[in-house]
Amino acid sequence: MSLCSLSAVEIARGIRNRDFSALEILRSFYQRAETLEPSLHALLHCAPEIAEKHAADVDAAVARGEDPGPLAGVPVVLKDNMCVRGMPATCASRILQGWIPPYDATVTELLETSGAVVAAKGNMDEFAMGSSTEFSAFGPVSNPWDTERVPGGSSGGSAVSVAAGYTPLALGSDTGGSIRQPASFCGIYGLKPTYGLVSRWGLVAFASSLDQIGPFARTVEDLALSLSVIARPDPRDATSSRRERPDYFEALAPWKTPGRENAPLSGKRIAVVKELQNRKDAVSAEVEDVLQKTLALCREEGAEIVEISLPVSLEFGLPCYYILAPAEASSNLARFDGVRYGLSSDEKSLVNLYFKTRGSGFGSEVKRRILTGTYVLSSGYYDAYYLTAQKVRQLMKREFAAAFAGCDLIALPTAPSPAFRKGELVDDPIQMYLADVFTLPVNLAGLPALSLNGGFTSGEKPLPVGVQFIAPKWGEPELLSTAAVLEKKLGKAKTAPCDWAETSAERAANAKTAGSERGGVR
Amino acid sequence: MKYTYQPVIGLEIHVQLATATKIFCSCSTDYIGAEPNTNVCPVCLGLPGALPVLNGKAVELGIKAAMALSCTVKDKTVFHRKNYFYPDLPKAYQISQYDLPLAEGGELFISGDGDTLKRIRITRLHLEEDAGKLVHSAADGRLEGAEFSFVDYNRGGVPLAEIVSEPDLRSPGEAREYVTSLRRLVRYLGVSDGDMERGSMRVDANISLQKTDAATGEILYWGERAEIKNMNSLRAIEHALEYEIRRQIDVMEAGGVLERETRHWNDGEGTTTSMRSKEAAHDYRYFPDPDLPPIEASSALLEQVSASLPEMPWAREARFRNELGLPEADAALLAETPQLADYFESCVLTGASPSRISNWVRTEVLRVLNERNISIESFSMQPKTLGSLVLLVDEGKLSTTAARETFNAMIEKGLPLEKALEASGGAGGKVSGDALADTIRAVLASAPDVVEEILGGKDDKGKKKKFLTGLVMKETRGQADAAAVGELIEKLLNEKP
Repeated sequence: MSLCSLSAVEIARGIRNRDFSALEILRSFYQRAETLEPSLHALLHCAPEIAEKHAADVDAAVARGEDPGPLAGVPVVLKDNMCVRGMPATCASRILQGWIPPYDATVTELLETSGAVVAAKGNMDEFAMGSSTEFSAFGPVSNPWDTERVPGGSSGGSAVSVAAGYTPLALGSDTGGSIRQPASFCGIYGLKPTYGLVSRWGLVAFASSLDQIGPFARTVEDLALSLSVIARPDPRDATSSRRERPDYFEALAPWKTPGRENAPLSGKRIAVVKELQNRKDAVSAEVEDVLQKTLALCREEGAEIVEISLPVSLEFGLPCYYILAPAEASSNLARFDGVRYGLSSDEKSLVNLYFKTRGSGFGSEVKRRILTGTYVLSSGYYDAYYLTAQKVRQLMKREFAAAFAGCDLIALPTAPSPAFRKGELVDDPIQMYLADVFTLPVNLAGLPALSLNGGFTSGEKPLPVGVQFIAPKWGEPELLSTAAVLEKKLGKAKTAPCDWAETSAERAANAKTAGSERGGVR
Repeated sequence: MKYTYQPVIGLEIHVQLATATKIFCSCSTDYIGAEPNTNVCPVCLGLPGALPVLNGKAVELGIKAAMALSCTVKDKTVFHRKNYFYPDLPKAYQISQYDLPLAEGGELFISGDGDTLKRIRITRLHLEEDAGKLVHSAADGRLEGAEFSFVDYNRGGVPLAEIVSEPDLRSPGEAREYVTSLRRLVRYLGVSDGDMERGSMRVDANISLQKTDAATGEILYWGERAEIKNMNSLRAIEHALEYEIRRQIDVMEAGGVLERETRHWNDGEGTTTSMRSKEAAHDYRYFPDPDLPPIEASSALLEQVSASLPEMPWAREARFRNELGLPEADAALLAETPQLADYFESCVLTGASPSRISNWVRTEVLRVLNERNISIESFSMQPKTLGSLVLLVDEGKLSTTAARETFNAMIEKGLPLEKALEASGGAGGKVSGDALADTIRAVLASAPDVVEEILGGKDDKGKKKKFLTGLVMKETRGQADAAAVGELIEKLLNEKP
C-alpha cells in the first residue's frame, strides 16, 4: 500500500503502532512531491530540515512510549499566507520575497503540538486574491486531474497537495471561496469554518472580516480530526469566539443512532435555492447534474428536500463582496511599504521607495483590488459604496437566518463549472469573480460551509464536481454528519492518479543521471 | 472704522495613558531611555499576520478621564483605521476612533480671563495608538537636510486619549489655563503623568480670528483657522498662540486671505511656518477596524470606574477654601496633586489649625522636597507627626522658632518628635518660672513708652502686648512657654508701681 494514499487518521495510528515511522512518512511525502511538482507546482517552499526534526521528535516520543498527539507524524501543507517560524511566508507575492516570520501562526502551534509535521508551504493566488492560482507571482498550479486546467484558488497549492496524494491534510484560507472552490475543482473535501472558529493569528490578512482558515482532506474523518485540532479559542485574535467547541467526531456516524440505521438523514431538511431553479444559465449542465444526483442521495438517506429563497445574496453578494473585501485589503496590504521587511526598492526619496516597491512588488490582480478598495473608502464615495455594501451584508445575514428557519442545511453548487482551462479567465476579471458567486455569500454571512465531491464529468478526462452544503453558525457538526453519510455512499475522495507523471518522473530521473539536476522540490 | 480681533481657540490634546503595556499588545510602555526597537513585538511592528487585542486598562483609564470631564461614555464604541503612509506607522494605518468615540460632550471649568470661572466644553474623548519615532540624521535632528532617517517603534502602540475641546477659549492665557487644569486632572486621576516635556501630553491648537466692528460689535469676517503643532510646553503654547494671533491680524490688515492650514511652531525662532494647506490634506479613508469588535462598556465597569474616581481637584480646592478657610492660592497649591492634598488633610486630622498646617506644608515641607528633589510620597515625616508639632505651636507650648528647629532636627538627624524637642530645647518651654519673669521685667523696662500706652488703655486690639511677647520670645531664643509669657506679661504689667 502506498503511504501517500493513507488518511491522516491511518497515518497517526500506524505511527503510534510503529507500523512505520514519521520520518518514513515524511520522506514519502517529499518523494511524491519531487515526482509531481515539475508538473503541478503546488508547493512554494519545502522545509525538509525543520520537518525532519519534527518527525524525528514524533518518532522519539513514540519510542519513549509517549502519545505524540492525534496527528502524530502527519505531514501537512500550509498555504503560504500562514506563518511558520523559520519558513518563508511569501503569500505568493514578490513583495514578501525573503521574509521569514519570526513567529508561528496559532494553527501552526496547534498542529505541531498535535504531532503534525509542517512539510511545505502551498502555492496560492497572490495574497489569496484569485480563483485559479494563476495569480501566483511564482507560477501557476496545475490541476492533477488535467494539468491543462486550473486547480481553483486561491488555496490551489494546498488543495492539489491533498488531491495529488502528497499528504492527507492541508490548510487553506477562505475569504470568498478559496477553500471550497479548489476543493471542488480537485475532487476533495474542503471546509470553511464559521467566522471566529479558527484563530487568524499568523494568517496574513486579505479581508479580515471574511478570512477564515480551514482544512482540505480526502476523508470526512480527517476533516473532523483536523478541525478538532485547529478550532480553538485564541486570546491573540479578538475575533476568535470563546464558545466551547463540540466534539466533532461525535457527529460522524449518525447511522449508529438507534432508529436511524437505514435513514441517517431522516428529520433533516436540506434546502435547494429557489433562485437557481429556473436559471439554467447560472451553472453548467454537469454541475447541475451532480447537484441533483447528490440531492437524490440525500433523499434516499432520509432527508427532506425543501426550497428556500436567497434573492439578495445571489443577486448582490458578488458586488457587495467586491467592495468590502478590496476595501479591507487596501488597508491590510498598505503595510508592505519597503521600510521594514520584504522587497525594498533602493530609492533616495520616501515617496519613490513607496511607489517603486509597491509598483514592482504587487501583481496586477492585487493592484486592481487595492485600487478598488482605496476608491470605495475615499471621502465622497464611502457612503455610496462601503456603507451601502455593509447594509447589504446585514441584509444577507438576515436573509440566511430567515432561510435557516425553514431548513437545516442549504445545498448549492460549489462553483458554476468544473475546473476551467488555464488562461481562460485570466484576462477577464468579472468572469473570474463569478467563479465565487455561490461561495462568497457564505463568507459575508460568517457561516460554515463544506464542499464535497459529488461526482465527475463524463468524457476523456473526467473532472471532479463539488457540491456545497451551508449550515447556520457553528453548524460544523451538522455539515460533517451529512458529509459522512454521503461519503458512505459515494466513497472517500479519490487521489488523482497522476498517471501522466510517470513520463515526467522518468524525465527527472534521466536528468539526474545526466548530471543536470534542475533543482527538485528540495 | 475701528476693528477688534477676537481669537477663537480650540485644543486637541493627546494624553499618554499610564498603562504598563501597550494598547494592542503586551509590550512595555516604558520606552524612555530604552534601546531603540527593543519594546516591540509582531503586533506593534505591524508584521504580516499579527492582530491587535485591546488592553482593557486603557479603556478603563479613558473612561475615568471621560467621567471626570463629565462626558457621556458611549454604550458602544468602535475603533476605526486611519489610513496613511509614513515610516513611523508600521501598519500604514493608525487604529483610532472616528464617529463612535469612547465619550462625548463634557466640560472643564477653568479660571478664565478677568478671573471668572469659565466653562470649556469638551467635544469628545477617544482612544488611539501612538506612532513610532523618527530620528533624522541632520545635525538638528530635523528632516530637512537629513540624508538618513531612523525609526524607533518603542513608542508605537502606546495608548493615547485624544481630548478635543470646543472652540471656547478666547486667549493664549485661557489656553494655557485649560491645559494646566487638564494636566492637573489627569495627574489627579492617575490617568497620565501629563509630562509635556517628555511628550506624554501633546497639544495641538486650532485658532482663528473674528474681525468685528469695534463700535457696534458686529462680526465682519471670520478667518479660516490654522492648526498649530509642535508646542512642547505651556510657555510654547502661549507664545505660539500669541505669535499666530499677530500673524493672522497682519494678514487680515494687509487685505490678505487666511487659508485653512497646518502650521509648525518653531520654538527656537518663535515663529509658525506652514506645513500643509487644506488642498494637500490627507484623505484618511477611515473605516471600522475589522480586527476589533466594538467595545461595549458594561454597566458594571462604568460603576466600578465611577466609584474609583477621587475627589476632583477643583472640588478639593473649593473645600480647602470654604471649609478650612484657606486663601485661594494656598488651596490651589495644596490641591495640585492628590498626594500633597492627602498629606495636608492627614496633618489637619490631628486637630492642628488648618491655616498653620497650610503654612508649614507650603513652606517647610515643600522646601525639603525641593532641596532633596523627592516627592511627597518619599517624605520621611509622617503627617501625624507634623500635625502634632504644629499642634504644640497652636497650644502655645512651643514657639514657631522652636518648632522650626525641632522640625529641622527631625528631618536632618532623623530624630523622633520627643527627642527632637529635647534636642532643640523646646520641650514644653524651657525658660520658665523666675528666669522667665526676670526676662519679662527686663523687656518691660526697656520699652517704657509701650508699657505706658498699654496701661493707658490704648491697646484694644492687643497688638502692643503681642509686640512685647515677641520681644520676650526673642530674648529667650524662642524657648519660653508662649502661653505662660502672655499671662506673666499681664501680671507683671499690673504689678508695676
